[in-house]
Amino acid sequence: MNSEMEKENVEQVSLPVQGMTCAACVAKVEKTLKSITGVQKVNVNLMSGKVSVSYMPDKAGVPQMVKAIQDVGYVVPEEEVLLTVRGMSCAACVAKIEKGVKGLPGVTSVVVNLPAESTKVKFYPGAVDKSRIKKEIKALGYEASEKLSGQAALDSEKEARQKELRYQTRNMWIAWPLAVIVMVGMFRDMWIFPYFVPEFLGNPYVLWAISTPIAFIPGAQFFKHSWNGLKRGATDMNLLYATGIGAAYIIATINTFWPDAGFGGRGATFFESVALLTTFIVLGRYLEAITRGKTSEAIRKLMSLQARTARVIRNGQEVDIATDEVEIGDIVVVRPGESIPVDGEVVEGYSSVDEAMITGESIPVEKRAGSSVIGATINKTGSFKFKATKVGSETALAQIIKMVEDAQATKAPIQKLADLVAGHFIAGVHVLALIVFFIWFFFGYNAFFSPDSQFILSPYSLAEVGVFGFALLLSVTTLIISCPCALGLATPSAIMAGTGKGAENGILFKGADAVEASSKLNAVVFDKTGTLTKGEPSVTDVFVSPGFVHNDILRLAAMSEKPSEHPLGEAIVRGAKDKGLNIDDVERFEAIPGYGIRASYQGQEILLGNRRLMKQEKIAIGNLNAKMEQFEEEGKTAMLMAIDGQAAGIIAVADTLKENAKVAVERLYHMGVEVAMITGDNRRTAEAIARQVGIKTVLAEVLPQDKAEEVKKLQAKGYKVAMVGDGINDAPALAQAEVGIAIGSGTDVAKETGDVILIKDDIRDVVGAIEIGRATMRKIKQNLIWAFVYNITGIPLAAGILYPVTGLLVSPELASFFMALSSFSVTMNTLLLKRFQPSFKKDKNKSETMPVHMAQSAR
Amino acid sequence: MNELETKAARQASLIYTAISLVITFLFLGLTFVTGESYNLVARIGGMIWIFVLSMIVSMPIIIPAVKKRVVG
Repeated sequence: MNSEMEKENVEQVSLPVQGMTCAACVAKVEKTLKSITGVQKVNVNLMSGKVSVSYMPDKAGVPQMVKAIQDVGYVVPEEEVLLTVRGMSCAACVAKIEKGVKGLPGVTSVVVNLPAESTKVKFYPGAVDKSRIKKEIKALGYEASEKLSGQAALDSEKEARQKELRYQTRNMWIAWPLAVIVMVGMFRDMWIFPYFVPEFLGNPYVLWAISTPIAFIPGAQFFKHSWNGLKRGATDMNLLYATGIGAAYIIATINTFWPDAGFGGRGATFFESVALLTTFIVLGRYLEAITRGKTSEAIRKLMSLQARTARVIRNGQEVDIATDEVEIGDIVVVRPGESIPVDGEVVEGYSSVDEAMITGESIPVEKRAGSSVIGATINKTGSFKFKATKVGSETALAQIIKMVEDAQATKAPIQKLADLVAGHFIAGVHVLALIVFFIWFFFGYNAFFSPDSQFILSPYSLAEVGVFGFALLLSVTTLIISCPCALGLATPSAIMAGTGKGAENGILFKGADAVEASSKLNAVVFDKTGTLTKGEPSVTDVFVSPGFVHNDILRLAAMSEKPSEHPLGEAIVRGAKDKGLNIDDVERFEAIPGYGIRASYQGQEILLGNRRLMKQEKIAIGNLNAKMEQFEEEGKTAMLMAIDGQAAGIIAVADTLKENAKVAVERLYHMGVEVAMITGDNRRTAEAIARQVGIKTVLAEVLPQDKAEEVKKLQAKGYKVAMVGDGINDAPALAQAEVGIAIGSGTDVAKETGDVILIKDDIRDVVGAIEIGRATMRKIKQNLIWAFVYNITGIPLAAGILYPVTGLLVSPELASFFMALSSFSVTMNTLLLKRFQPSFKKDKNKSETMPVHMAQSAR
Repeated sequence: MNELETKAARQASLIYTAISLVITFLFLGLTFVTGESYNLVARIGGMIWIFVLSMIVSMPIIIPAVKKRVVG
C-alpha cells in the first residue's frame, strides 16, 4: 500500500548538466543526487549531458538537486524566456503572476513588468518548459506568448493594444449610456427631473433591468479574472471590484424583489452604485488602455525606424528585398532620403547621414568609401553603395532595442517596497474590509448612525439602511478605494520612460538598478586616455626661433619624421598634413635611440629630438629652454629642432582633450558631483591635463589593475562612484564602481561592459546619464508618494473615519472614481518625462534658435 | 492539472472552507453575546459577507501552502 502511494507521488525531471567529462563524473553526480532524501532514481547520460531524476516532490525539490550538483562542481545551465503577458492591470497582478510562476518546479526567477506587459522567466530546462510557464500564466487569467522582436513585435503589440482598446471602448459604450439612464431614474423625483423624466424610469424593476447588463457585460471581466486567480490561490484588484460590484448588485436585487427582507427596502436599492461603480472602473481601464504603452514610445519609435525593404545588387541587378533577407556581404544601394536597412561599410559614393536616432547626435555625419554606416539611420544627400556587415539581430538597432527591452524588464531596488506592499495588499484590504464590517456592525452603527446620513457629493439619503446594509456599504467602499493600481504603475512606468529617454539620446542603461544608481552618484572618476583625451597625440604648438618660418619648420619636421614609426613622429606628420603642407621624402634619415632623429634634405642638416641630442651636437638652444620647460609644465612632449647647427624651434605634441570634456566637468561640479581623473601617466602630465579640463582630484601613476582599488578607496570615503572608461581596459574599475559608464563604444553595444553605455564619444553624455537618472527617480518618488498618499488617506475616509464627526460617507462609486483617477494621474505624471531633455541638449536647442533671432534684430 | 495538484486543491479547499466557517460562526456567536438585538436578515446577510471575505482572505494563503507541501 505504502509503495503504491509513493509511486503515485513520484515526479520526474530531466536536468541538463555541464562539465561532466567521464564515468567518474557520472558516478559523482548520481551519488550526490541519490543522497538527497526523496530522490528515488537517478539516471545520468554523459553523452547528452542530462540527468533524469525520479523524486518525491513532498520530500525533495529541483532547487535542492541543482544546488547539490553545483556543490560538486558542475553547472546546471539556466534558460531564459521573455514573454508578453496581456491582461495585467495592477501591482497585484504582477505579484499574482510572479507567485504563480515561481511556484513551478525549476523556475529560478520571475520578473514581471506591468507597463511593458512583459515577464522574464529564468528556469532549468528539463524541470519545466516554456509551454508549461505559459500555461500557468494563462490559467491565472492572462494571455501569454513569447515576446517577438522587431517589426513582428511592433505589429503584435499594436494589434493587442487595439484589441484591448476596442474591448474597453465597447464596454464604455454599454456602461456610460446605461449608467446615465440609471442616474436619471434614481433621481427622477428630485429637482427638475419630474418635469421631463418619464415615470417608468424611476421604477425599481426598470432600474434593475438597466443595471444588470452594466454589472454583467462590462463588469464580466472582473468576475472572470478574479475567479481564475482565486481558484489558484492568487488575488488581484479584479477581486476588489468583483466583490464590490457583486455586493452592491445583490443588495440592489434583494431590495428590488424582496423589499421587506430587511436590507433597507426600496429606499436603499443602490442601483446608481452598481452602475457608476462599474462605469468608473471601466473608465479607468479605458484610460489605461489609451495611456499604456505611451511610456514605452521611445522603444517603439526605435523599432519603427527599421527599414522594411532593402535595395541590393544580385546578379548585377538592383532588386528590392525584405530587410530580413539581406545577407552579410550583400552590396546595398541607398538613395537620398532613404533609410539604411542594415549595418555595413561604404564601398562607393559619398553622402551625409543623419544618425540622430541611434547616437543622439543631431549633426549629419559624412560618409565615404571605408566609412561604416548604421542600419535605421537616414541618408540625407548623396547616393552610395555599402557592403552589409551586420544583419538581423546583430545590427546596432537590434542590439540597442534588446538592451533597452532587457533594462525595462528589470526592477529598480526602490520598487521592492511597492512590490512588497502590493503583493500583500489585496489580502490585507479584505482583512481590513472584514474589520470595518465588524466595527460598524457591532459598534459604529449603534453609536453613530443617523438617518440624515449622506454620501459625499450625493443627495442620496441612507435613512432606510439597516445595520447590515450600512456596515456592508462601508466595507465595500473600503475594498474599492484600496486598489493598488497607482502603486503598481509608479516605478516601472517611470523606468520605461527614463530608459527610453536615455536611448533617444544615445545613453543606454543596462537595467533599472543602473538608472537608480545613476541618480545617487556624487563622484565621477574619468579615465584619462581615450576618455577625457582623444587617446592619440597631436601637434599642439610650434614655436619658432627668429629667422625661421612656422610652416617651414613644421614641414621639415614632418619630412624628417616621415620614415620614423614613432607615435610622436606620426603626430607631426599628421599635423603637417592637416595644414596642407607638402611632405617630400628626405634624402637621408637616421634614428638616434634615446635622443631623436637626424635627416638631410636639399643640403640642409635637420636634427629633431631632446636636450641631450642638442647637447651632444653642441647646439646652443638659448632662450628655447624656457619655452620648452613651459610646454613640459603643461604636460606636453616638446622636441627641439635644429637646422644646419642652429636652434630653429620647438614642436610640442600632446594628447589633446576631447571637445566637450571641459564643459562636462564644469557641469558635473555645478551639479554637486566630485570629479576625479585616473591615469597611469606621471603626475606632472596628469596634473597638466587635469588643469586644462578643470579637475581638482588627480589619481596619477595608477596601474590598470589598481584602478578598481582607487575606486574602492573613494567608496570607502562615502562616495557613490561612477567610473567612466573605455569598457575594455577599465572593466574591473567599471565593475567596482556603483555605475560603470562605458563611453564612445560606437554601435557594438552588446560587447560592452558597464551599467551605462554611451554610444557617442561625448563626455557630456555622462552628465546626461546622471540627469536622466535623477529625473527618472524624481518621477518615481513623486508617483510613489502620490500612490501611498492616495491609499493612506483614501482607506480611512472610505472606512468611515470622518462619519462620527461629519455624518458624511464616501460612496462606492466615488471610491471607484478616485481609484481610476489615481492610476490615471500617475501615468500622466510619468508621461511628463517625455518632455525632459538633458541640459546640453536643451542648451543646444536654445543656441540653435538664438542666431535666427539675432540675425533678425540686426536687420 | 495533474493528480497531485488535484489532491492539493481538495485538501486546501477543506482547510479554507473550515477556517471561513469558523470565522462566520464566530460572527454569528457575537451577534448573540453583544447584548444588541439583530434581526435575522442582519445575521444571515452578515454571515454571508463574512464568509465571502474570509474565503477570499484564506484561499490565497492556504492554497499555495498546501500545494507546496503536497506537490513540492
